[in-house]
Amino acid sequence: MKAYNVINTRLPRVDARAKATGDARYAADLAMSNMLYGALLQSPLAHAKILNIDTTAAKKLPGVRDVVTAKEAGLVKYGVSPARYDEQVFCSEKVRYVGDEIAAVVAVDLETAMEAVSLIKVDYEELPVLLDIESAMREGAIAIHDDFPGNVGAEVHQEFGNFEEALKECDIVRTDRFVNKRQDGGFLEPQACLAHYDLNGNLTLWSSTQSVHYVQRSVSMVLGIPIGKVRVIKPYVGGGFGPKAAVNTIEIAACLMSKRTGRPVKMVFSREQVFLHSRARHQFFHELTTGVKKDGTIVALKNTCHLDGGAYSSFGIATIYYAGSLLGAPYKLPNMKYDGYRIYTNKPTCGAQRGHGGVAARAAWEQQLDIIAAELKMDPVEFRLKNIMKTGDVTCNDFNMSSLGMKECLEAVRDGSGWSRKKKKLPKGKGIGVACGFFVSGAGYPIYRSETFHSTATIRLTEDGGAVNLYTAAAEIGQGSDTILGQIAAEALGVSLDDVTVHSGDTDFGVDLGAYSSRQTLMSGHAAKAAAEDTKRQVLEALSEVLNVSPVDLDIAKGVVVFKKEKPDFSRLRTAYAKEHRGWKDIPSEGELTFREAARIAFLTRGVIIGNGAYKPGELGGKYKGAAVGTSPAYGCSAQVVEVTVDMETGKVTVDAMTDAHDCGFAINRTNVEGQMQGSLSMGLGEALFEEVKFDGKGRVLNASLGEYRIATALDMPNVRTIIVESDEPNGPFGAKEVGEGAIMPTIPAILNAIYDAVGVRINELPITSERLYAAMKEKQKK
Amino acid sequence: MLLLPKFDYEEPKSMREALATLSELKGNAKVIAGGTDLLVNMKKGTVKPTRLVSLKKIGGLRDIAREDAGLSIGSHVTISEIADSALVGSLFPVLARSASCLGSPLIRNRATIGGNIVTARPAADLPPALMVLGAEVQLKGKGKGRTVSLDSFFTGPGSSVMKAGEVLTRITVPPVPSFTGGDYIKLGHRAALEIAIVAVASRLTLDGPDGVIVDARIVLSSVAPTAVHALSAEKALTGQRPSEELFARAASIAATECSPITDLRGGADYRCDMVGILTKRTLLKAFHDASGMKEGGA
Repeated sequence: MKAYNVINTRLPRVDARAKATGDARYAADLAMSNMLYGALLQSPLAHAKILNIDTTAAKKLPGVRDVVTAKEAGLVKYGVSPARYDEQVFCSEKVRYVGDEIAAVVAVDLETAMEAVSLIKVDYEELPVLLDIESAMREGAIAIHDDFPGNVGAEVHQEFGNFEEALKECDIVRTDRFVNKRQDGGFLEPQACLAHYDLNGNLTLWSSTQSVHYVQRSVSMVLGIPIGKVRVIKPYVGGGFGPKAAVNTIEIAACLMSKRTGRPVKMVFSREQVFLHSRARHQFFHELTTGVKKDGTIVALKNTCHLDGGAYSSFGIATIYYAGSLLGAPYKLPNMKYDGYRIYTNKPTCGAQRGHGGVAARAAWEQQLDIIAAELKMDPVEFRLKNIMKTGDVTCNDFNMSSLGMKECLEAVRDGSGWSRKKKKLPKGKGIGVACGFFVSGAGYPIYRSETFHSTATIRLTEDGGAVNLYTAAAEIGQGSDTILGQIAAEALGVSLDDVTVHSGDTDFGVDLGAYSSRQTLMSGHAAKAAAEDTKRQVLEALSEVLNVSPVDLDIAKGVVVFKKEKPDFSRLRTAYAKEHRGWKDIPSEGELTFREAARIAFLTRGVIIGNGAYKPGELGGKYKGAAVGTSPAYGCSAQVVEVTVDMETGKVTVDAMTDAHDCGFAINRTNVEGQMQGSLSMGLGEALFEEVKFDGKGRVLNASLGEYRIATALDMPNVRTIIVESDEPNGPFGAKEVGEGAIMPTIPAILNAIYDAVGVRINELPITSERLYAAMKEKQKK
Repeated sequence: MLLLPKFDYEEPKSMREALATLSELKGNAKVIAGGTDLLVNMKKGTVKPTRLVSLKKIGGLRDIAREDAGLSIGSHVTISEIADSALVGSLFPVLARSASCLGSPLIRNRATIGGNIVTARPAADLPPALMVLGAEVQLKGKGKGRTVSLDSFFTGPGSSVMKAGEVLTRITVPPVPSFTGGDYIKLGHRAALEIAIVAVASRLTLDGPDGVIVDARIVLSSVAPTAVHALSAEKALTGQRPSEELFARAASIAATECSPITDLRGGADYRCDMVGILTKRTLLKAFHDASGMKEGGA
């Protein structure tokens, strides 16, 4: 492998100092002089007609500057997928869940704004409330959206190969059901924003978002402000995991009210509002039928899935496709049938969350594969290895595994965990389990149909040559993309990471679709690399003219110019540089011509050096309907082994150890790759054991706090052994691909399989609370 | 958004001054110690004091002192200080254990023993341990002070025998008799930031290393409006020779002595079953420690 200077290292993050010292400012920390504070009126009812909205008293309250409803905001429909624009800023005819937005107020302070909200009087006519998919799909059920009688908001039917035919050659056919629970994103920073519509009609919105691009487009479309007049800036963001990948109501409301009042408007979600806005993991009801041959060959899979979508579509159209398309691989499966239904219910809207659409399906299938392995009397690792895909394989739904270190991952966790010493050999109550998974390295298509570049990047060198400014609209949301893109640019340009300043998350810096679908390392990374190469080319061309050396014989590495042939006499350049900087203490004096001197020459002969890069995926596979969801330039994959202890008397599960191997193609920053693996495991552990958004009979969230909605704490995490596998992805920058989401895929099923190994009980419903496992063990004893 | 309402705040220099304010404002003034419960409830609007009185400038509330062979603990001692105290750990390990189960490391650094008692939450961690230890609390009001056994302190969720204007100043724990052991076990979902699904504290005293049980105490938490003694189970143990069968019998009796509800954290049936399991486990540990203990205390 080629030797690198900046990438494949463990350099500290570029935002480490700011975050460790508290210097980093998040959207809720921002303030402007003359700023107003906004608050939302949200529906207390899950389903009701709005008969009348009376804002008189609210408007009269001293300190209130504006009150807006659908009358002021307009009735423009928006959403995530253009095919399902089903949201309005404020409800006009009816409310569809507890939390649906009806009005907003701005006032001189938040207390006044909140008081004014309480003075808005709304007359409702209550409608039947549909809180689960059974009642929503029942014959004669009221339509939550008029356009969708029956409340099926979307359905997907796909078949690759021939499932029924294929079953005939199977020796074992199993059908199992599995259900997860509705999740909350659980990010630490609630959504917050500050909007400022200035005197020239330019709108600037600072927001806690995963995608400045999508927010910019939505705000422009909904409010009718030309897109060139809308600038969206993402300050530091404290996590997103999916729910922040599309525009939210406070972003639009704050912009609207800033435009109307001419003053900056700030709005911040409370934690309860985070739960109401939701847009996190759906509840999936899977029924899987898998057929295998006696020799362990997996032949056929039928997957039927119902998704409880909540009140609106959000990312749900992508979710329903992913819930089908992310099965199959990483196993050689020739026949796969999928039927998916996304149902509207009167609950907060579900959307995308880490491992989008695939996590519950993966948990269901990897547990079923474990059951089948046992029926075959095959070791679960051996069974998986027998069916595993390798680099160059293409799935039956046309996903091209242009690199795939799946076998290496599986063998690594087998050997790294001491699998063969432990499997079936642990004392009762202790167990070990394994699972695999894969995920896209970026959605192959934008969420709206377009030929747009997915990522652009620009590098501008400072006139003294001393600094490299990288501009990208990519979103650093805590995952480390600023560091990764800085490292890629530094490596490609031949300088150190310290020489690069990353300016990111601003629509003024270009187009980038943002931090979702595990796309930024590959896609934004390509753009950053191309911009750096373009910059380097210009510097070297300028240098070649001055030194009369062919540019092909020049390179830059470690901050100095590399002369591939004879080193020319550059003393004239150095003398000129020294003269320009008389009195300065840092004039280069070593034997090498520095990047700084070379870049200075480039500026003197050509003006400001600006390098550009842009990326969109090439031709991707799949011509069938829905192929746009799941096709990707590359796929990451991973395997995990989990060891648990089950308290046989209480049902309490303790995760003792996790061994995780992930094929990220090529690690740009090894520490950051491990961080993403650890974070995924923690989220998967929480989803497996603790997390569930609960509702009362009227559709109100019962546990809208991080006290009663339990994400895993640091103390719940075992020591994790992380193993990085590098398969060198041909479609990735420097061979890199995803790690951010794919790493969560095996966690839940590996825990489920370990629990079975420990106590002989299969759990088909998450979360695996001590009470649920206790009941299952009791049930088993009865039999 | 949960906003903290406006309120006055004062830091009196003497207890007399503090008690005067509390008495003058009746229920409108509240003592603030760690604030981990009070401030949250004020944000939610469930309590609406107009003034908060901090006792941090008043001496004598932040120490853990040996008193005879027992302990006297100031009400403002933090949970971390109790969990980490060598004195508490050696004399009353069951109290140290319950302290180390409370909230998270961050909350333990703020929350106080007094606060954990006066808020009277049915799932509070310290009261069960303190109750099996026979702890008493000292209450000071405008008149003369009084001492109340923790066993008769709680009257319901969030309510106790404390009167408006009274302050809990100290907690006293009597000496441990010879051949005594105890345990506290909390069953929750996570390893931190948990309100118990069920918790049980037990203490056994034997009349000798191989003797019969002369005193048995079992307190069940999170399964009734207040922490409660499992009286019949305690009775079933007293005077008996310890054995696993005896403990199992006592445990199944204890499981009938609770009245849990089904809520977000767990179902009533599961909670009853877990009362049995945890009671048995705490008794086994209590017996193990009691029989290993030398005459004359730890």
